Amino acid sequence: MTKMTKKIGCAAILALGLVPLLAHGQNIAQSRPLVKGDAVQYLFPEQVTLPAGKPSPVTLHFRVAQGLHINSHTPREDYLIPTTFSIPDGSGVRLDGAVYPAGADMTLPIDTKTKLSVYTGEFAIQVRIAPAPGNHLVEAKLHYQACDQNQCLPPKTITVPIDVIGK
Amino acid sequence: MKKMRSIPLKRNSIVLTAVLFILAVFAWAGWANWEYRQQAAEKLLASAARGELVPDPAGGMPQYQSPFMGKAAPAFALDDLGGKKVSLASYKGKAVLINFWATWCGPCKIETPWLIELRNKYAGQGFEILGISTEGDDLKADDKAGWAKDKAAIAKFVAQQKVPYPVLVDGDSLSQAYGGLDAMPTSFFVDRKGNVVAAQMGLTSESEIEANIKKALAD
Repeated sequence: MTKMTKKIGCAAILALGLVPLLAHGQNIAQSRPLVKGDAVQYLFPEQVTLPAGKPSPVTLHFRVAQGLHINSHTPREDYLIPTTFSIPDGSGVRLDGAVYPAGADMTLPIDTKTKLSVYTGEFAIQVRIAPAPGNHLVEAKLHYQACDQNQCLPPKTITVPIDVIGK
Repeated sequence: MKKMRSIPLKRNSIVLTAVLFILAVFAWAGWANWEYRQQAAEKLLASAARGELVPDPAGGMPQYQSPFMGKAAPAFALDDLGGKKVSLASYKGKAVLINFWATWCGPCKIETPWLIELRNKYAGQGFEILGISTEGDDLKADDKAGWAKDKAAIAKFVAQQKVPYPVLVDGDSLSQAYGGLDAMPTSFFVDRKGNVVAAQMGLTSESEIEANIKKALAD
């Protein structure tokens, strides 16, 4: 084999070897999501100590992301999804009742006739819970549906983690 | 003497042929590998492609940028409220507005009368709307009662608004194919060849929807 043939062969092999590497290096564009994270964030308390077996009040604090609103627990239209708090069975903690804040009135600029009942910014739900004796890491749930002035996000259920100590 | 010279020449020809053959094999392998990776990249891109809202530099409403602009609208076949399968392919040759909406979506309710009016205005020119209900709720596939409740809510809305175009259910199954469907309403305007010529996320205006319908009808 001549030197020239060898050189051509090596160059061709190198060039061909680069093809798959270039293909592999293709940039897959990733777009940013419409809303980063959840529309509603649970703030506090992280831990509560309550008398075992006796329903006791606890105030749970949440925050709605800026620019968004969620329906209150009692929306004015029956097609709207109400904000609801729940505790799954078998958590070691019984939900005895919940008092939701009244929603604030809101109208969309494009439809000023329809009045909405919503939560924005920070809001608190007063719940009465009865723990069994012991330490319970409760994964309570908040179900809501958020919108801004022009569009709505799908309904969502977030976990509300509370360490409940029943004494 | 002549014999002595012809042997290396013959050997060189064999070596050259062998080298060319090896190069051809390498070229074919490289091309096949590149093709394979190209297809894999396209698949990944399709699965990861998401629409996004981009701020308007002029200070107006954010603009929805769909990864499907100029591309074929992803195919689908979904049930209508009567349980009949309706496919996008069956509308080939027509301009189609694919409107993803939900019963819990206030802005969707505001735009529906506009859609009905525009559908009736342009139907004669070969235009149709496919409303696709996308409840996006936490319903499990086996939650028959939940799905029945959703379907009843959709049917109630369709009857109340006297929606004249087909309304299909289970738009959630198209979420990935259509770039995530992060918010409702989301609309795709498809031309007669089946390509997406415009897309909107969120409530815009009747005039903007009409302008996009005209784009879809233009070809």
